[in-house]
Amino acid sequence: MSALVGSWLERFLGRGRAAVTVPPLDGALKPNNRLEDAPRGLVSHAPDNLVACDGAVLWSSGTRLFRAAAGAEPEPVATLDGVISALAVSPRGQIAVACDGKGISILARDGTVTDTGRSSGWPSACITAMTFVDEASLVVCVGSVQTALDAWQRDLMEHRRAGELWKLDLAARTAKRLAAGLGYPNGVVVAADQSLIVSEAWDVRLVRRAPDGRELAIVLDDLPGYPGRIAASARGGYWLTVFAPRSPLIEFVLREDDYRRAMLAEVPPAYWIAPALRSGVSFHEPMQGGALKQMGILKPWAPTLSYGLVIALDTNFVPLQSLHSRAGGKRHGITSAVDIDGRLWLTAKGGDEIVAIDRAAGEVR
Amino acid sequence: MQPVVELKNVTKEFHGIPALRDISFDLRPGEVHALLGENGAGKSTLTKIMAGVYEVTSGELIVNGARVSFKTPAEALRSGIAMVFQETSLVPSLTVAQNIYLGNEKFLNRLRGIYIAAQQFLQSLNFGVDPTMYVSQLGAAQKQMVEIARAVHHKARVIIFDEPTATLTPEEKHHFFALVKRLKRDGVSIIFISHALEEALSISDRITIMRDGQHVVTDDAKNFDRDKIITAMVGRTLSDELYGKAGDGHATRPYGRKMLSVQNLSMGRMVRNNSFSVYAGQITGIFGLIGSGRTETAKIISGVVKRDFFHGGEVKLEGRSVRYRVPRQAVRDGIVYVTEDRKIEGFFETKSIAENIYLNLLAADLNKSVVISYAEMMELAATWTKRLNVRAISNAARVVELSGGNQQKVVIARALVQQPKLVIFDEPTRGVDVGAIAELHHVINELADAGLAVVVISSYLPEILNLADRILVSRQGRVVEEFSADEATEEKIMYAAVH
Repeated sequence: MSALVGSWLERFLGRGRAAVTVPPLDGALKPNNRLEDAPRGLVSHAPDNLVACDGAVLWSSGTRLFRAAAGAEPEPVATLDGVISALAVSPRGQIAVACDGKGISILARDGTVTDTGRSSGWPSACITAMTFVDEASLVVCVGSVQTALDAWQRDLMEHRRAGELWKLDLAARTAKRLAAGLGYPNGVVVAADQSLIVSEAWDVRLVRRAPDGRELAIVLDDLPGYPGRIAASARGGYWLTVFAPRSPLIEFVLREDDYRRAMLAEVPPAYWIAPALRSGVSFHEPMQGGALKQMGILKPWAPTLSYGLVIALDTNFVPLQSLHSRAGGKRHGITSAVDIDGRLWLTAKGGDEIVAIDRAAGEVR
Repeated sequence: MQPVVELKNVTKEFHGIPALRDISFDLRPGEVHALLGENGAGKSTLTKIMAGVYEVTSGELIVNGARVSFKTPAEALRSGIAMVFQETSLVPSLTVAQNIYLGNEKFLNRLRGIYIAAQQFLQSLNFGVDPTMYVSQLGAAQKQMVEIARAVHHKARVIIFDEPTATLTPEEKHHFFALVKRLKRDGVSIIFISHALEEALSISDRITIMRDGQHVVTDDAKNFDRDKIITAMVGRTLSDELYGKAGDGHATRPYGRKMLSVQNLSMGRMVRNNSFSVYAGQITGIFGLIGSGRTETAKIISGVVKRDFFHGGEVKLEGRSVRYRVPRQAVRDGIVYVTEDRKIEGFFETKSIAENIYLNLLAADLNKSVVISYAEMMELAATWTKRLNVRAISNAARVVELSGGNQQKVVIARALVQQPKLVIFDEPTRGVDVGAIAELHHVINELADAGLAVVVISSYLPEILNLADRILVSRQGRVVEEFSADEATEEKIMYAAVH
């Protein structure tokens, strides 16, 4: 009863959970154009997960897997029977591929697909991220067991907490659910102390978990956007991708239940007021024209539903620097980052581009 | 030319400890005479002797050629010497007009008549203060303006201004300097005590510099420059040490974990949708013009004032949303605010240094003994006065007897004794001499090096540039720009603050 009264009071006063506030982009997250201004990259349709393998990068684009080395043209590696939702490479070069609705496969170095990894009882849908703990163990993030992979906006808008964390034993073909009820886990990395760092997108935080899945600590929270995949950095820290921004407008809609329910029921998903991987492409969008631009120039205060952001973290997960593609930019919806041979590779899923930034050139330290 | 006021070989002792030693000083008719020195140099004591607050222990005070000994300020005022005190001496429960006319009332007073006369008088001085307002409702700058108006109203032939411009805005300072020039033209002699050396250089005819209660030098202002004054004041060149170029002397500290996140904070018209973050192990400087909402934001964070009742935004300390009703709650969470108005909010002026420091320990519930312990109090005071180099006769001395810089150190000791995680310094070196500024800067840097999150609010650009690792610029109630120490320049910061 008291919780009910408290909740009503918070809504009435605009406080606590009802405060429509978003953390500022300042300090290490101060906006810049370093991502947007980076040299032109490789064109690829909705590139999603990016991993390093044998000195080159592999990335998924729909059902296809591509490979590219620095300075070389991309070449297709394999085509799978479902949309590839996550990739992982083991220390010895095994490539695990998650196909939405099909499960996890192991890919040989020559690109041939084996189904040895698939097993009944293993998660098969909405797998958002994976990482190898060792050659035989794979940790898997399932974004939501209730919504489909491409319905992640609905999952957020319906305030679902249906994400899971699994550990798969590839040799014994067993699987163990480490945690459930998570807010769309969307990235995982093994830290130096063998703990798991999991990004929980809807809770806008990174959580340190024990190898058995116990929550140990929140290492980074109250992020200004929804965190995605995490990758180890060559300089010793990590790269955290933020695939969509938070904004007071979205936070407001997330708190307005009646409006949100009506929007989900009546408006096509492409025109929702919700975080997106890309925006500004259709005049049917709820905010366009004069709401965002004046005399053809984007207003400095124009709210955006999509953004491009990747954050460099130190070994203690303290943000050190960040690269941005701001409102009005093209390189939005950064879903994956990998640091290899002095270059930072990024997938701009919203911008249909793979961006490679030369760290030695001083653009990224 | 016969001096209006002359002191010959004056010594003044308090409890046997000399505050002034064998000082000789003269003030010529119609001159502006700047009196400079570090806090504790004896400037206020010297002028208080002239204004009848203190009597000399030995030596002579000569006014218009006659040896005098004032027993009270009223006697000095009758001889034409008025002093505008550093600590405002107005009656808060009276209106501005009543304060101006206090002591000069006619037998039968008509309040409306006083208001009209006061209005005309304040307008003639270009002071925008409503004469019908109670002094308790005025801000620090307006109180200072009323003080000045009162001295001018008494038609004094000698007016002593003790730090008159510390609380004035640039525009008010402009009016004040015009007033000083007008008084000088009318033959009034002025003694001008200030820590703003540029002001002293530009406004005064002669400058006297004191150090440790002794006279160092008196010369025409045109023979001085900033460095020469500082060298004479402190006996060493401090200018570069204090206000070297940004980043000189220390490397910019990296971002630590986020200690404080202010999100869409609002309070009336003063703070409007303000958002910024503060990181551990760094000094975050906040610059802005007066009225830009910096102090109000700091006071909301530390529980001194409250944000808007409805939709007032959020303050998150280490990720946890906090809303304090009283400062005590903030203190227990590790937030302390070092006020800009130390005389009113910073300490209990009639209590001793030790009592002041110990009281804050009690407020934070950090005292070791269950009952109030004199031994713990004195030990604590000894530790902190040593660490911050507070210069006082003893730790039992009342804070009101200390110089401005030492008072500020006591205020800082009171804050640090509460073992904070986040310290907000609001104008930490206002009204503090250059020697003490260096010491205070050192303390602030030490705190950041120790991993504390430090916020320094300052209106003095060189200070912000020298101290801060990142600089936030506040305008019209919100942070509008952020600079790293490497990219910040005075021009960029000022442009952001006014445009």
